[in-house]
Amino acid sequence: MNRVITEDPSKRTPLILGGHDFKGISDLVVKPIEAKAPKWWHIALAFSFSLLMLLLSMIGFLIWEGVGVWGLNNPVSWGFAIVNFVFWVGIGHAGTLISAILFLFRQKWRTSVNRFAEAMTIFAVICALVFPGIHVGRVWVAYFMFPIPNQMSVWPNFRSPLLWDVFAVSTYFTVSLLFWYVGLIPDLAVLRDRAKTKIKKVVYGIFAMGWTGGNRAWQNYERAYLLLAALAAPLVLSVHSIVSFDFAVSQVPGWHTTIFPPYFVAGAIFSGFAMVVTLMILARQLFGMKDIMTMHHLECMNKIILATGTMVGYAYGMEFFTAWYSGNEYEAFAFVNRAFGPYAWAYWIMVSCNVLFPQLFWFKKVRTSIPAMFVISIIVNIGMWFERFVITVTSLSRDFLPSSWGYYSPTWVDLCTFLGSFGLFFTLFLLFLKFLPMIAISEVKGVMPEAHAHDHEAKEGH
Amino acid sequence: MNWDGLMEKKDISNEEELFLFPKWTNGVPLILALSAVIGLCTVVFVFWYWFSPKNFNIGFAPEQPIEYSHELHAGQLGIDCRYCHVNVDKGPAATLPSTEICMNCHSVVKTNSKEILKIRESFSEGKKIEWEQIHRLPGYSYFDHSQHVNSGVSCVSCHGRVDLMERVYQVEPLSMGWCLECHRNPAKNIRPKKYVTDLSWKTENPEQLGKELIKKYHINPREDCSACHR
Amino acid sequence: MAISVIGEFKDPTELLKAAKQTRKAGYEAFDAHSPFPIHGMDDAMGLKGSILGWVVLCGGLTGCVAGFGLQAWVATEAYPLVISGKPLFSYQAFVPVTFEVTVLFSAFAAVFGMFGLNKLPQLYNRLFKHKSFSKKATSHGFFISIDSELSDDEVSIVEFLKSIGATNVSGVKE
Repeated sequence: MNRVITEDPSKRTPLILGGHDFKGISDLVVKPIEAKAPKWWHIALAFSFSLLMLLLSMIGFLIWEGVGVWGLNNPVSWGFAIVNFVFWVGIGHAGTLISAILFLFRQKWRTSVNRFAEAMTIFAVICALVFPGIHVGRVWVAYFMFPIPNQMSVWPNFRSPLLWDVFAVSTYFTVSLLFWYVGLIPDLAVLRDRAKTKIKKVVYGIFAMGWTGGNRAWQNYERAYLLLAALAAPLVLSVHSIVSFDFAVSQVPGWHTTIFPPYFVAGAIFSGFAMVVTLMILARQLFGMKDIMTMHHLECMNKIILATGTMVGYAYGMEFFTAWYSGNEYEAFAFVNRAFGPYAWAYWIMVSCNVLFPQLFWFKKVRTSIPAMFVISIIVNIGMWFERFVITVTSLSRDFLPSSWGYYSPTWVDLCTFLGSFGLFFTLFLLFLKFLPMIAISEVKGVMPEAHAHDHEAKEGH
Repeated sequence: MNWDGLMEKKDISNEEELFLFPKWTNGVPLILALSAVIGLCTVVFVFWYWFSPKNFNIGFAPEQPIEYSHELHAGQLGIDCRYCHVNVDKGPAATLPSTEICMNCHSVVKTNSKEILKIRESFSEGKKIEWEQIHRLPGYSYFDHSQHVNSGVSCVSCHGRVDLMERVYQVEPLSMGWCLECHRNPAKNIRPKKYVTDLSWKTENPEQLGKELIKKYHINPREDCSACHR
Repeated sequence: MAISVIGEFKDPTELLKAAKQTRKAGYEAFDAHSPFPIHGMDDAMGLKGSILGWVVLCGGLTGCVAGFGLQAWVATEAYPLVISGKPLFSYQAFVPVTFEVTVLFSAFAAVFGMFGLNKLPQLYNRLFKHKSFSKKATSHGFFISIDSELSDDEVSIVEFLKSIGATNVSGVKE
């Protein structure tokens, strides 16, 4: 930590520490894959796999019994399923933001964290996709959501924001997966060339597609990566905007506001970065990646958490202002009810977790302290889950007609399903840590000072 | 190279011969890509065509507990549909005839037939005859027979020439798409109300007549979801 | 029989220099292999810009037309249904899905276009027969490979690569 404080302000913090050469970077990143998995990994995998089994059995129970096993009621017909969906999709925003937007802004520090964050994105979106998939009740007709010719002559209603969401999230998943995979190809080739057993040679070989690192291929590859980044940047902003349309396009007080798209996007980045920080702290500690995922990287991430957390706080305040300024009594009631109604407890958890705690990152001591940032990043995600809970449930539980007011509480099935989704997430994540390089090897090498060819001859020509 | 020993966890890093994929593997991706495209089209086709009631349900003719012939009763003898299906113009369900209705005639007609014996048995013991249902609508849909019959939609439009059927079978898919077809363009299925149960009725220009009757009867079939999914 | 001759270089600077010399010597079917893209290599090898952008543009336009067309067709022809009293062809509501489908098709064009231009997947490649190349090219080695249709050229290409400072020079046959 002293390094950070005594550094020369006229010099940029180096992105890679420890004086590694190109081979050293490969060795370091590939080590967890080639070495035998540590004991904690097996224990963690067994634990998350049993949570995954819990998720599967809850889904089986749900399909067998019907959605009545959930705590949904009239008027609260959207409960945990939607809350969890928005929560996981939100987390899934950090990866593509880091990969795409920071790439376009030439933020070179992204190279150490982008692979990691992209993997997290994909697994979070998989968790998110589970919930709308199962909440339709009759899951065997889930294909109604897609424009496939069918015997009912029914076509999806393209004027519904829920269908926009189907397209947005599935496009986001596909593009994130492609982006992730394209980034992996050169690294898979490293694994292929280092593999010591035939089975590894074959499996990594198939996925590396015969990459040789020829410059003719790099040229198209880099262009493809740049174009994917350019495509993914507006995509990542559109996805959570469209998720917010699920609420904003309806007429329920507290949902029907134009502030929702930017408010949701900021919240998504906020929670996604918090999740990346949580996982990064664990991974760099447990796998010894401190030279690549440096304190500088964590600090950059924390600054973004601080910025987006402040935006979210601004949105919370602005919602109240709009409700008051609109003079609409239903809108005004919705917000008074949020802060002082039956769900006030959830509202104040949300405000303190999302607005107050991240403000500690103004202090350099806090933003460069591993225990502090670990705790705050987890608090942020608790807060962000409550944000979705507050938005979904408080507005629905207070209908236009006081006669249909109600209160929603989840059942044990709701809780176990949510818990189980963490099992799915961490199972996938642990497998990723073991079998794929958690750091983009070729990209990290590309930002090292040795990677630049000192070409004096070329300058004469120009 | 050989594919044997693939699963061996042998360290191959120091072997003289390098691991190489055989040359034929370069042709595999193209084949895989083509089969993915063909596979996707097949899935869509399966849903669209093969999963359709058009394919599954038309011609469904289950064996009934009694070998009752519509061809004899409705066709040769000319008994009106409403004689047995009493509720068809009065409520949502057409209703299966009760044993008593059969006994109106069969207390005196063909009393010694083996099949009639089953009716008498049901009548004397008060036991229901377990008819097999043939025409099933898709789940969660509401259908009212009287609404249709009283608007001049003939039985034949949905059930076909039952008066020619020895054993009844399904002739139309009864799928949602099929319902919608008529709701969007009902003219050819509308006839004068008095001919609704006359299955053999024909006219020269049904489309033209249908259009006139739609005006006359004020028919305006609904196409929104809650018309059927109430 | 087609052959390739492969030679190893020390670092990115050396590789860049070698690529320039190879081009100057008149070789056309050659490539410079490195674990990461090297800045300035395209100029050194005399490569024209990638045409991938045009492929993606075509993909994006196809997606845009297909996405909008599908929605317009569904709303007005396949399943006309009045919703909240809006006209059937309410194109404003079609914007989000049109955007998503455009991005999806463009991304497919970018990835599969790149695979096509790079002739991937190509699991078998004669370059992998070169021992040093197959171990180091993707990790920390820098190589020039020169292809020729005539195996008789092998000797002269080996001579050339050695002359510009390559080590581990050897030819590989198909």
